Amino acid sequence: MSGKERLNIFELIKKVVFTDFVKGLSITLGYNVRGSMTLKYPDQEKWIPYKRFRGLHTLNRDENGRELCVACELCSKACPTQCITVIPMEDDTGRGISDRVAKVWKVDLVRCLFCGYCEDACPTRAVRLGRDYELACSDSSCNLKQREELLVPQSVPESFEGGVVAASTFEASPAGLRVKADLTKTKKRPW
Amino acid sequence: MPDISLIVALALMVIKVFIVTTILFVLPLPLTYVERKVAGHIQVRLGPWRVGPHGLLQPFADMIKLILKEDIVPDKADKFLFKLAPLMAMLPAFVVYAAIPFGDKWTIPFIDREVTLYIADMNVGILYVLAISGLGIYGLIFGGWSSNSKYALIGGLRSSAQMISYEIAVSFSAIGVVLLSRSLSLLEIVKSQGGNLLHWNFFYLPVGPVWFAIFLIGSLAEINRVPFDLPEDEGTLGAGFHTEYSGMRFAFFMLAEYLALVTVSVMSVVLFFGGWNAPFNVPFVPPILWFLGKVILFIYFFMWVRFTLPRYRYDQLMTIGWKILIPVSLVNLIITGLMKI
Repeated sequence: MSGKERLNIFELIKKVVFTDFVKGLSITLGYNVRGSMTLKYPDQEKWIPYKRFRGLHTLNRDENGRELCVACELCSKACPTQCITVIPMEDDTGRGISDRVAKVWKVDLVRCLFCGYCEDACPTRAVRLGRDYELACSDSSCNLKQREELLVPQSVPESFEGGVVAASTFEASPAGLRVKADLTKTKKRPW
Repeated sequence: MPDISLIVALALMVIKVFIVTTILFVLPLPLTYVERKVAGHIQVRLGPWRVGPHGLLQPFADMIKLILKEDIVPDKADKFLFKLAPLMAMLPAFVVYAAIPFGDKWTIPFIDREVTLYIADMNVGILYVLAISGLGIYGLIFGGWSSNSKYALIGGLRSSAQMISYEIAVSFSAIGVVLLSRSLSLLEIVKSQGGNLLHWNFFYLPVGPVWFAIFLIGSLAEINRVPFDLPEDEGTLGAGFHTEYSGMRFAFFMLAEYLALVTVSVMSVVLFFGGWNAPFNVPFVPPILWFLGKVILFIYFFMWVRFTLPRYRYDQLMTIGWKILIPVSLVNLIITGLMKI
Protein backbone atom coordinates (compact mmCIF):
# COMPACT_ATOMS: atom_id res chain seq x y z
CA MET A 1 0.00 0.00 0.00
CA SER A 2 2.69 2.41 1.03
CA GLY A 3 4.76 1.74 -2.09
CA LYS A 4 1.92 2.68 -4.41
CA GLU A 5 1.06 5.75 -2.41
CA ARG A 6 4.61 7.00 -2.32
CA LEU A 7 4.74 6.66 -6.09
CA ASN A 8 1.62 8.78 -6.40
CA ILE A 9 3.05 11.47 -4.16
CA PHE A 10 6.23 11.40 -6.19
CA GLU A 11 4.20 11.83 -9.39
CA LEU A 12 2.26 14.67 -7.80
CA ILE A 13 5.44 16.51 -6.84
CA LYS A 14 6.69 16.04 -10.39
CA LYS A 15 3.50 17.61 -11.69
CA VAL A 16 3.58 20.50 -9.24
CA VAL A 17 7.10 21.59 -10.20
CA PHE A 18 6.41 21.11 -13.93
CA THR A 19 9.14 18.50 -14.53
CA ASP A 20 7.93 17.45 -17.97
CA PHE A 21 7.48 21.06 -18.97
CA VAL A 22 11.04 21.95 -17.98
CA LYS A 23 12.39 18.85 -19.74
CA GLY A 24 10.67 19.78 -22.99
CA LEU A 25 11.78 23.38 -22.76
CA SER A 26 15.41 22.43 -22.15
CA ILE A 27 15.37 20.18 -25.22
CA THR A 28 14.03 22.93 -27.46
CA LEU A 29 16.49 25.41 -25.96
CA GLY A 30 19.27 23.02 -26.91
CA TYR A 31 17.98 22.97 -30.48
CA ASN A 32 17.66 26.74 -30.44
CA VAL A 33 21.33 27.30 -29.68
CA ARG A 34 22.89 24.45 -31.66
CA GLY A 35 22.73 26.14 -35.07
CA SER A 36 20.97 25.29 -38.27
CA MET A 37 21.17 22.15 -40.37
CA THR A 38 19.80 23.96 -43.41
CA LEU A 39 22.43 24.98 -45.93
CA LYS A 40 22.44 28.54 -47.21
CA TYR A 41 21.85 27.20 -50.68
CA PRO A 42 22.04 28.76 -53.26
CA ASP A 43 23.41 32.04 -51.94
CA GLN A 44 26.41 30.93 -49.92
CA GLU A 45 26.70 27.17 -49.67
CA LYS A 46 26.27 24.20 -51.94
CA TRP A 47 26.34 20.50 -51.23
CA ILE A 48 28.96 18.59 -53.25
CA PRO A 49 27.87 14.93 -53.38
CA TYR A 50 30.02 11.87 -52.83
CA LYS A 51 31.69 10.04 -55.73
CA ARG A 52 28.99 7.38 -55.65
CA PHE A 53 26.33 9.98 -56.46
CA ARG A 54 24.39 9.39 -59.69
CA GLY A 55 23.61 12.70 -61.36
CA LEU A 56 23.75 13.97 -64.91
CA HIS A 57 25.42 11.67 -67.49
CA THR A 58 28.88 12.54 -68.70
CA LEU A 59 30.84 11.13 -71.64
CA ASN A 60 34.54 10.75 -70.96
CA ARG A 61 37.65 11.05 -73.08
CA ASP A 62 40.94 9.25 -72.66
CA GLU A 63 44.21 11.00 -71.79
CA ASN A 64 44.83 11.89 -75.46
CA GLY A 65 41.48 13.58 -75.79
CA ARG A 66 39.87 10.80 -77.83
CA GLU A 67 36.28 9.86 -77.08
CA LEU A 68 36.02 6.63 -75.15
CA CYS A 69 32.60 5.83 -76.55
CA VAL A 70 32.65 3.13 -79.23
CA ALA A 71 28.91 3.35 -79.91
CA CYS A 72 28.34 -0.28 -79.00
CA GLU A 73 24.79 0.61 -77.89
CA LEU A 74 25.05 -1.54 -74.78
CA CYS A 75 23.95 1.37 -72.65
CA SER A 76 20.78 1.86 -74.60
CA LYS A 77 20.10 -1.88 -74.46
CA ALA A 78 20.70 -1.97 -70.70
CA CYS A 79 18.55 1.05 -70.05
CA PRO A 80 15.28 0.02 -68.35
CA THR A 81 13.43 3.07 -69.60
CA GLN A 82 14.92 3.23 -73.09
CA CYS A 83 15.95 6.82 -72.62
CA ILE A 84 19.36 6.56 -74.34
CA THR A 85 19.58 6.74 -78.14
CA VAL A 86 22.85 5.79 -79.82
CA ILE A 87 23.44 5.97 -83.59
CA PRO A 88 26.88 4.71 -84.57
CA MET A 89 29.01 5.78 -87.52
CA GLU A 90 32.45 5.05 -88.95
CA ASP A 91 35.21 7.54 -88.38
CA ASP A 92 38.96 6.86 -88.81
CA THR A 93 40.21 10.41 -88.15
CA GLY A 94 41.06 9.59 -84.53
CA ARG A 95 38.02 11.14 -82.93
CA GLY A 96 37.36 8.06 -80.86
CA ILE A 97 39.51 5.26 -79.55
CA SER A 98 38.21 2.98 -82.32
CA ASP A 99 36.92 3.42 -85.85
CA ARG A 100 33.37 3.21 -84.60
CA VAL A 101 32.11 6.37 -82.90
CA ALA A 102 28.73 7.74 -81.91
CA LYS A 103 27.04 9.96 -84.46
CA VAL A 104 24.26 10.62 -81.99
CA TRP A 105 24.34 9.90 -78.29
CA LYS A 106 21.44 11.47 -76.52
CA VAL A 107 19.63 10.89 -73.26
CA ASP A 108 16.08 11.87 -72.40
CA LEU A 109 16.43 13.11 -68.80
CA VAL A 110 12.69 13.11 -68.20
CA ARG A 111 12.58 9.37 -68.68
CA CYS A 112 15.94 8.57 -67.11
CA LEU A 113 15.69 7.21 -63.58
CA PHE A 114 19.41 7.51 -62.81
CA CYS A 115 19.77 3.80 -62.02
CA GLY A 116 23.35 3.62 -63.32
CA TYR A 117 22.84 0.52 -65.47
CA CYS A 118 24.38 2.35 -68.42
CA GLU A 119 27.67 2.88 -66.61
CA ASP A 120 27.68 -0.78 -65.56
CA ALA A 121 27.07 -1.87 -69.14
CA CYS A 122 29.69 0.38 -70.71
CA PRO A 123 32.77 -1.67 -71.72
CA THR A 124 35.08 1.37 -72.03
CA ARG A 125 33.92 3.41 -69.02
CA ALA A 126 32.84 6.12 -71.43
CA VAL A 127 29.47 6.95 -69.90
CA ARG A 128 29.42 7.79 -66.20
CA LEU A 129 26.78 9.37 -64.03
CA GLY A 130 28.42 12.54 -62.79
CA ARG A 131 27.73 14.87 -59.88
CA ASP A 132 25.75 17.69 -61.53
CA TYR A 133 22.29 17.65 -60.03
CA GLU A 134 20.71 20.99 -60.93
CA LEU A 135 18.74 19.73 -63.90
CA ALA A 136 15.63 21.89 -63.69
CA CYS A 137 14.76 24.46 -66.33
CA SER A 138 11.78 26.60 -67.21
CA ASP A 139 11.10 24.98 -70.61
CA SER A 140 11.65 21.50 -72.03
CA SER A 141 14.86 22.43 -73.85
CA CYS A 142 17.12 20.94 -71.23
CA ASN A 143 15.38 17.60 -71.06
CA LEU A 144 17.25 16.17 -74.01
CA LYS A 145 21.02 16.13 -73.55
CA GLN A 146 23.11 15.64 -76.70
CA ARG A 147 26.58 14.14 -77.02
CA GLU A 148 28.25 17.52 -77.50
CA GLU A 149 26.94 18.80 -74.18
CA LEU A 150 27.78 15.66 -72.29
CA LEU A 151 31.39 15.63 -73.53
CA VAL A 152 32.08 18.90 -71.72
CA PRO A 153 33.74 18.12 -68.35
CA GLN A 154 31.41 18.61 -65.37
CA SER A 155 31.88 21.21 -62.68
CA VAL A 156 33.04 18.68 -60.10
CA PRO A 157 36.08 16.72 -61.39
CA GLU A 158 36.07 12.93 -61.09
CA SER A 159 39.02 13.03 -58.69
CA PHE A 160 37.31 15.33 -56.14
CA GLU A 161 36.36 13.41 -53.00
CA GLY A 162 33.00 15.08 -52.32
CA GLY A 163 30.69 14.80 -49.37
CA VAL A 164 31.40 18.38 -48.35
CA VAL A 165 29.70 21.76 -48.33
CA ALA A 166 31.40 24.20 -50.67
CA ALA A 167 31.17 27.97 -50.73
CA SER A 168 29.04 29.07 -53.66
CA THR A 169 27.79 32.06 -55.58
CA PHE A 170 24.37 32.42 -57.10
CA GLU A 171 24.33 33.79 -60.64
CA ALA A 172 21.04 34.80 -62.19
CA SER A 173 21.17 35.76 -65.87
CA PRO A 174 18.74 35.61 -68.79
CA ALA A 175 20.53 32.42 -69.87
CA GLY A 176 19.46 30.74 -66.65
CA LEU A 177 20.26 30.32 -63.02
CA ARG A 178 23.59 28.91 -61.94
CA VAL A 179 25.04 28.05 -58.57
CA LYS A 180 28.78 28.16 -58.90
CA ALA A 181 30.65 26.22 -56.22
CA ASP A 182 34.17 27.07 -55.13
CA LEU A 183 35.77 23.68 -54.51
CA THR A 184 38.79 25.16 -52.76
CA LYS A 185 36.63 26.50 -49.92
CA THR A 186 34.91 23.55 -48.36
CA LYS A 187 33.76 22.56 -44.93
CA LYS A 188 32.16 19.57 -43.29
CA ARG A 189 28.42 19.20 -43.43
CA PRO A 190 26.55 20.44 -40.35
CA TRP A 191 24.65 17.21 -39.58
CA MET B 1 -6.53 82.45 -20.39
CA PRO B 2 -5.51 78.94 -19.34
CA ASP B 3 -2.44 78.33 -17.28
CA ILE B 4 0.73 77.70 -19.30
CA SER B 5 1.69 74.71 -17.17
CA LEU B 6 -1.65 73.07 -17.97
CA ILE B 7 -1.00 73.43 -21.71
CA VAL B 8 2.49 71.99 -21.29
CA ALA B 9 1.14 69.07 -19.29
CA LEU B 10 -1.50 68.44 -21.94
CA ALA B 11 1.07 68.62 -24.74
CA LEU B 12 3.31 66.20 -22.86
CA MET B 13 0.39 63.81 -22.46
CA VAL B 14 -0.42 63.96 -26.17
CA ILE B 15 3.22 63.38 -27.09
CA LYS B 16 3.45 60.40 -24.75
CA VAL B 17 0.27 58.86 -26.16
CA PHE B 18 1.55 59.44 -29.67
CA ILE B 19 4.91 57.81 -28.95
CA VAL B 20 3.39 54.79 -27.23
CA THR B 21 0.84 54.25 -29.99
CA THR B 22 3.47 54.54 -32.71
CA ILE B 23 5.73 52.04 -30.96
CA LEU B 24 2.83 49.65 -30.51
CA PHE B 25 1.87 49.92 -34.18
CA VAL B 26 5.42 49.19 -35.30
CA LEU B 27 6.08 46.48 -32.70
CA PRO B 28 4.47 43.55 -34.60
CA LEU B 29 7.06 43.95 -37.39
CA PRO B 30 10.08 42.93 -35.29
CA LEU B 31 7.92 40.47 -33.34
CA THR B 32 6.88 38.51 -36.45
CA TYR B 33 10.51 38.41 -37.52
CA VAL B 34 11.71 37.23 -34.11
CA GLU B 35 8.93 34.67 -33.90
CA ARG B 36 9.90 33.20 -37.26
CA LYS B 37 13.56 33.18 -36.33
CA VAL B 38 12.87 31.50 -33.00
CA ALA B 39 10.62 28.97 -34.75
CA GLY B 40 13.31 28.30 -37.31
CA HIS B 41 16.13 27.90 -34.86
CA ILE B 42 14.15 25.68 -32.50
CA GLN B 43 13.33 23.47 -35.48
CA VAL B 44 17.04 23.54 -36.51
CA ARG B 45 16.25 25.63 -39.59
CA LEU B 46 17.50 29.05 -40.60
CA GLY B 47 14.23 30.96 -40.49
CA PRO B 48 13.85 33.95 -42.83
CA TRP B 49 17.10 34.40 -44.72
CA ARG B 50 16.71 35.62 -48.27
CA VAL B 51 14.81 38.92 -47.99
CA GLY B 52 17.51 41.36 -46.97
CA PRO B 53 20.52 40.46 -44.82
CA HIS B 54 19.52 37.64 -42.44
CA GLY B 55 15.96 38.04 -43.73
CA LEU B 56 15.58 41.33 -41.89
CA LEU B 57 13.24 42.78 -44.52
CA GLN B 58 10.84 39.84 -44.29
CA PRO B 59 8.27 41.69 -42.10
CA PHE B 60 8.10 44.48 -44.69
CA ALA B 61 7.53 41.93 -47.44
CA ASP B 62 4.74 40.44 -45.32
CA MET B 63 3.26 43.86 -44.78
CA ILE B 64 3.24 44.63 -48.51
CA LYS B 65 1.62 41.28 -49.17
CA LEU B 66 -1.10 41.91 -46.59
CA ILE B 67 -1.80 45.41 -47.92
CA LEU B 68 -2.03 44.23 -51.54
CA LYS B 69 -4.30 41.29 -50.76
CA GLU B 70 -7.94 41.41 -51.77
CA ASP B 71 -10.24 42.44 -48.95
CA ILE B 72 -12.93 39.78 -48.99
CA VAL B 73 -16.22 40.19 -47.15
CA PRO B 74 -18.28 36.99 -47.45
CA ASP B 75 -21.60 37.43 -49.25
CA LYS B 76 -23.74 36.14 -46.40
CA ALA B 77 -21.73 37.73 -43.62
CA ASP B 78 -23.17 40.33 -41.25
CA LYS B 79 -21.28 43.15 -42.97
CA PHE B 80 -21.36 45.69 -40.17
CA LEU B 81 -20.16 43.31 -37.44
CA PHE B 82 -17.69 41.72 -39.82
CA LYS B 83 -16.01 45.05 -40.42
CA LEU B 84 -16.28 46.08 -36.78
CA ALA B 85 -14.68 42.94 -35.33
CA PRO B 86 -11.01 43.60 -36.21
CA LEU B 87 -11.27 47.07 -34.69
CA MET B 88 -12.94 45.65 -31.59
CA ALA B 89 -10.07 43.22 -31.24
CA MET B 90 -7.38 45.82 -31.87
CA LEU B 91 -8.57 48.79 -29.85
CA PRO B 92 -8.41 47.30 -26.31
CA ALA B 93 -4.91 46.04 -27.00
CA PHE B 94 -3.82 49.66 -27.42
CA VAL B 95 -5.96 51.16 -24.68
CA VAL B 96 -4.44 48.87 -22.04
CA TYR B 97 -1.15 50.72 -22.31
CA ALA B 98 -2.64 53.87 -20.83
CA ALA B 99 -2.19 52.40 -17.35
CA ILE B 100 1.11 50.59 -17.71
CA PRO B 101 4.11 52.19 -16.02
CA PHE B 102 7.28 51.83 -18.08
CA GLY B 103 9.40 53.67 -15.57
CA ASP B 104 9.20 56.18 -12.75
CA LYS B 105 10.34 59.74 -13.37
CA TRP B 106 12.85 60.85 -15.90
CA THR B 107 14.48 64.26 -16.28
CA ILE B 108 14.83 65.43 -19.86
CA PRO B 109 18.42 66.61 -20.32
CA PHE B 110 19.10 70.29 -21.22
CA ILE B 111 15.64 71.64 -20.32
CA ASP B 112 15.57 70.11 -16.84
CA ARG B 113 11.96 69.01 -16.85
CA GLU B 114 10.70 65.94 -15.15
CA VAL B 115 8.42 63.62 -17.11
CA THR B 116 6.74 60.50 -15.86
CA LEU B 117 7.25 57.38 -17.93
CA TYR B 118 3.60 56.36 -17.79
CA ILE B 119 0.53 57.89 -19.37
CA ALA B 120 -1.77 57.74 -16.35
CA ASP B 121 -1.28 56.61 -12.78
CA MET B 122 -4.67 55.10 -12.03
CA ASN B 123 -5.38 54.08 -8.49
CA VAL B 124 -7.15 50.98 -9.85
CA GLY B 125 -4.67 50.31 -12.66
CA ILE B 126 -4.65 46.55 -12.24
CA LEU B 127 -8.44 46.34 -12.54
CA TYR B 128 -8.35 48.63 -15.56
CA VAL B 129 -5.82 46.41 -17.36
CA LEU B 130 -7.76 43.23 -16.61
CA ALA B 131 -11.08 44.77 -17.65
CA ILE B 132 -9.86 46.36 -20.86
CA SER B 133 -7.84 43.37 -22.04
CA GLY B 134 -10.94 41.28 -21.38
CA LEU B 135 -12.86 43.48 -23.84
CA GLY B 136 -10.69 42.21 -26.71
CA ILE B 137 -12.74 39.02 -26.66
CA TYR B 138 -15.63 40.89 -28.33
CA GLY B 139 -13.58 41.18 -31.50
CA LEU B 140 -13.10 37.44 -31.58
CA ILE B 141 -16.75 36.65 -30.85
CA PHE B 142 -18.04 39.20 -33.38
CA GLY B 143 -15.59 37.96 -35.99
CA GLY B 144 -16.62 34.36 -35.40
CA TRP B 145 -20.34 35.15 -35.35
CA SER B 146 -20.54 37.52 -38.29
CA SER B 147 -18.50 35.52 -40.80
CA ASN B 148 -21.37 33.05 -41.21
CA SER B 149 -18.97 30.14 -41.18
CA LYS B 150 -19.07 27.06 -38.95
CA TYR B 151 -15.36 27.06 -38.20
CA ALA B 152 -15.26 30.73 -37.36
CA LEU B 153 -18.29 30.38 -35.09
CA ILE B 154 -16.83 27.43 -33.20
CA GLY B 155 -13.54 29.31 -32.87
CA GLY B 156 -15.31 32.35 -31.47
CA LEU B 157 -17.31 30.23 -29.02
CA ARG B 158 -14.23 28.41 -27.86
CA SER B 159 -12.35 31.62 -27.28
CA SER B 160 -15.19 33.09 -25.22
CA ALA B 161 -15.48 29.93 -23.11
CA GLN B 162 -11.74 29.92 -22.61
CA MET B 163 -11.74 33.59 -21.68
CA ILE B 164 -14.46 33.15 -19.05
CA SER B 165 -12.75 30.11 -17.51
CA TYR B 166 -9.32 31.65 -17.23
CA GLU B 167 -10.25 35.26 -16.47
CA ILE B 168 -11.26 34.04 -13.00
CA ALA B 169 -7.88 32.48 -12.29
CA VAL B 170 -6.02 35.49 -13.66
CA SER B 171 -8.13 37.83 -11.52
CA PHE B 172 -7.36 35.70 -8.47
CA SER B 173 -3.65 36.00 -9.15
CA ALA B 174 -4.13 39.75 -9.50
CA ILE B 175 -5.80 39.73 -6.07
CA GLY B 176 -2.78 37.85 -4.76
CA VAL B 177 -0.47 40.54 -6.11
CA VAL B 178 -2.66 43.22 -4.58
CA LEU B 179 -2.39 41.45 -1.23
CA LEU B 180 1.36 41.22 -1.53
CA SER B 181 1.86 44.84 -2.60
CA ARG B 182 -1.06 46.39 -0.65
CA SER B 183 -2.13 48.55 -3.58
CA LEU B 184 -4.27 48.44 -6.73
CA SER B 185 -2.15 51.01 -8.54
CA LEU B 186 0.41 49.45 -10.89
CA LEU B 187 2.86 52.20 -10.01
CA GLU B 188 2.61 51.40 -6.31
CA ILE B 189 2.88 47.69 -7.03
CA VAL B 190 6.18 48.24 -8.83
CA LYS B 191 7.46 50.59 -6.15
CA SER B 192 6.68 48.07 -3.42
CA GLN B 193 9.03 45.64 -5.16
CA GLY B 194 11.98 48.04 -5.02
CA GLY B 195 15.33 47.16 -3.51
CA ASN B 196 16.79 43.92 -4.69
CA LEU B 197 15.69 40.67 -6.22
CA LEU B 198 14.23 39.27 -3.00
CA HIS B 199 11.63 42.03 -2.77
CA TRP B 200 10.01 40.99 -6.01
CA ASN B 201 6.58 39.45 -5.67
CA PHE B 202 7.80 36.32 -7.41
CA PHE B 203 10.23 35.65 -4.57
CA TYR B 204 7.66 36.08 -1.80
CA LEU B 205 7.91 32.44 -0.77
CA PRO B 206 6.03 30.20 -0.80
CA VAL B 207 3.04 31.89 -2.46
CA GLY B 208 4.79 34.14 -5.02
CA PRO B 209 5.79 31.43 -7.51
CA VAL B 210 2.34 29.84 -7.25
CA TRP B 211 0.62 33.14 -8.07
CA PHE B 212 3.01 33.58 -10.95
CA ALA B 213 2.32 30.08 -12.31
CA ILE B 214 -1.43 30.72 -12.13
CA PHE B 215 -1.03 34.09 -13.81
CA LEU B 216 1.21 32.67 -16.54
CA ILE B 217 -1.03 29.72 -17.42
CA GLY B 218 -4.16 31.85 -17.22
CA SER B 219 -2.79 34.59 -19.44
CA LEU B 220 -1.41 32.12 -21.96
CA ALA B 221 -4.95 30.83 -22.28
CA GLU B 222 -6.43 34.31 -22.43
CA ILE B 223 -4.24 35.50 -25.28
CA ASN B 224 -4.98 32.28 -27.21
CA ARG B 225 -1.39 31.19 -27.55
CA VAL B 226 -0.01 27.70 -27.76
CA PRO B 227 -0.60 25.44 -25.81
CA PHE B 228 -4.07 26.95 -25.39
CA ASP B 229 -4.70 28.19 -28.94
CA LEU B 230 -7.90 26.23 -29.39
CA PRO B 231 -9.81 29.14 -30.97
CA GLU B 232 -7.50 28.93 -33.99
CA ASP B 233 -6.82 25.23 -33.92
CA GLU B 234 -5.57 24.59 -37.47
CA GLY B 235 -6.14 20.88 -37.34
CA THR B 236 -9.85 21.02 -36.63
CA LEU B 237 -11.08 24.55 -37.27
CA GLY B 238 -9.31 25.81 -40.39
CA ALA B 239 -8.07 29.00 -38.79
CA GLY B 240 -10.75 29.53 -36.14
CA PHE B 241 -12.42 32.90 -35.76
CA HIS B 242 -10.41 34.58 -38.51
CA THR B 243 -11.00 31.91 -41.16
CA GLU B 244 -12.94 34.32 -43.38
CA TYR B 245 -10.68 37.31 -42.92
CA SER B 246 -8.01 38.36 -45.37
CA GLY B 247 -5.70 41.27 -46.07
CA MET B 248 -5.59 44.14 -43.62
CA ARG B 249 -8.53 42.95 -41.54
CA PHE B 250 -6.61 39.77 -40.81
CA ALA B 251 -3.54 41.89 -40.11
CA PHE B 252 -5.51 43.78 -37.44
CA PHE B 253 -6.29 40.50 -35.68
CA MET B 254 -2.62 39.57 -35.84
CA LEU B 255 -1.67 42.99 -34.50
CA ALA B 256 -4.06 42.54 -31.60
CA GLU B 257 -2.64 39.11 -30.89
CA TYR B 258 0.95 40.31 -30.83
CA LEU B 259 0.05 43.28 -28.66
CA ALA B 260 -1.71 40.91 -26.26
CA LEU B 261 1.51 38.93 -26.10
CA VAL B 262 3.43 42.08 -25.24
CA THR B 263 0.79 43.08 -22.70
CA VAL B 264 1.06 39.75 -20.91
CA SER B 265 4.85 39.99 -20.86
CA VAL B 266 4.66 43.54 -19.51
CA MET B 267 2.11 42.55 -16.88
CA SER B 268 4.21 39.60 -15.73
CA VAL B 269 7.17 41.93 -15.32
CA VAL B 270 5.16 44.61 -13.54
CA LEU B 271 3.26 42.30 -11.21
CA PHE B 272 5.90 39.70 -10.36
CA PHE B 273 9.34 40.75 -11.50
CA GLY B 274 9.69 44.22 -10.11
CA GLY B 275 8.99 46.32 -13.20
CA TRP B 276 11.90 48.65 -13.78
CA ASN B 277 13.67 47.74 -10.52
CA ALA B 278 17.13 46.24 -10.94
CA PRO B 279 17.60 42.75 -9.49
CA PHE B 280 20.75 43.91 -7.66
CA ASN B 281 22.70 47.12 -7.46
CA VAL B 282 24.24 47.81 -10.85
CA PRO B 283 25.39 51.34 -11.57
CA PHE B 284 24.82 53.16 -14.89
CA VAL B 285 21.97 51.01 -16.18
CA PRO B 286 18.84 53.13 -16.60
CA PRO B 287 15.68 51.54 -15.13
CA ILE B 288 13.90 51.52 -18.50
CA LEU B 289 16.54 49.12 -19.83
CA TRP B 290 15.86 46.70 -16.98
CA PHE B 291 12.18 46.91 -17.82
CA LEU B 292 12.73 46.31 -21.54
CA GLY B 293 15.18 43.49 -20.89
CA LYS B 294 12.73 41.65 -18.68
CA VAL B 295 9.91 42.13 -21.17
CA ILE B 296 12.06 40.82 -24.01
CA LEU B 297 12.97 37.76 -21.96
CA PHE B 298 9.30 37.10 -21.37
CA ILE B 299 8.42 37.52 -25.03
CA TYR B 300 11.14 35.04 -25.88
CA PHE B 301 9.80 32.69 -23.22
CA PHE B 302 6.30 32.75 -24.74
CA MET B 303 7.70 32.02 -28.21
CA TRP B 304 9.86 29.28 -26.76
CA VAL B 305 6.80 27.68 -25.14
CA ARG B 306 4.89 28.01 -28.40
CA PHE B 307 7.38 25.87 -30.27
CA THR B 308 7.78 23.34 -27.48
CA LEU B 309 4.36 22.29 -26.28
CA PRO B 310 1.57 20.64 -28.23
CA ARG B 311 -1.98 21.95 -28.00
CA TYR B 312 -4.22 20.80 -25.16
CA ARG B 313 -7.49 19.05 -25.82
CA TYR B 314 -10.61 21.08 -25.15
CA ASP B 315 -11.71 19.07 -22.11
CA GLN B 316 -8.17 19.24 -20.71
CA LEU B 317 -8.28 23.00 -21.12
CA MET B 318 -11.50 23.20 -19.12
CA THR B 319 -10.15 20.80 -16.48
CA ILE B 320 -7.03 22.87 -15.98
CA GLY B 321 -9.06 26.05 -15.70
CA TRP B 322 -11.87 24.99 -13.38
CA LYS B 323 -10.55 22.00 -11.45
CA ILE B 324 -6.94 23.00 -10.88
CA LEU B 325 -6.27 26.71 -11.25
CA ILE B 326 -9.32 28.02 -9.40
CA PRO B 327 -9.04 25.72 -6.32
CA VAL B 328 -5.29 26.30 -6.17
CA SER B 329 -5.76 30.05 -6.32
CA LEU B 330 -8.42 29.92 -3.56
CA VAL B 331 -6.09 27.99 -1.26
CA ASN B 332 -3.23 30.26 -2.16
CA LEU B 333 -5.37 33.29 -1.41
CA ILE B 334 -6.03 32.05 2.13
CA ILE B 335 -2.33 31.34 2.72
CA THR B 336 -1.34 34.75 1.38
CA GLY B 337 -3.92 36.42 3.58
CA LEU B 338 -2.67 34.60 6.67
CA MET B 339 0.92 35.49 5.86
CA LYS B 340 0.05 39.17 5.45
CA ILE B 341 -1.85 39.56 8.75
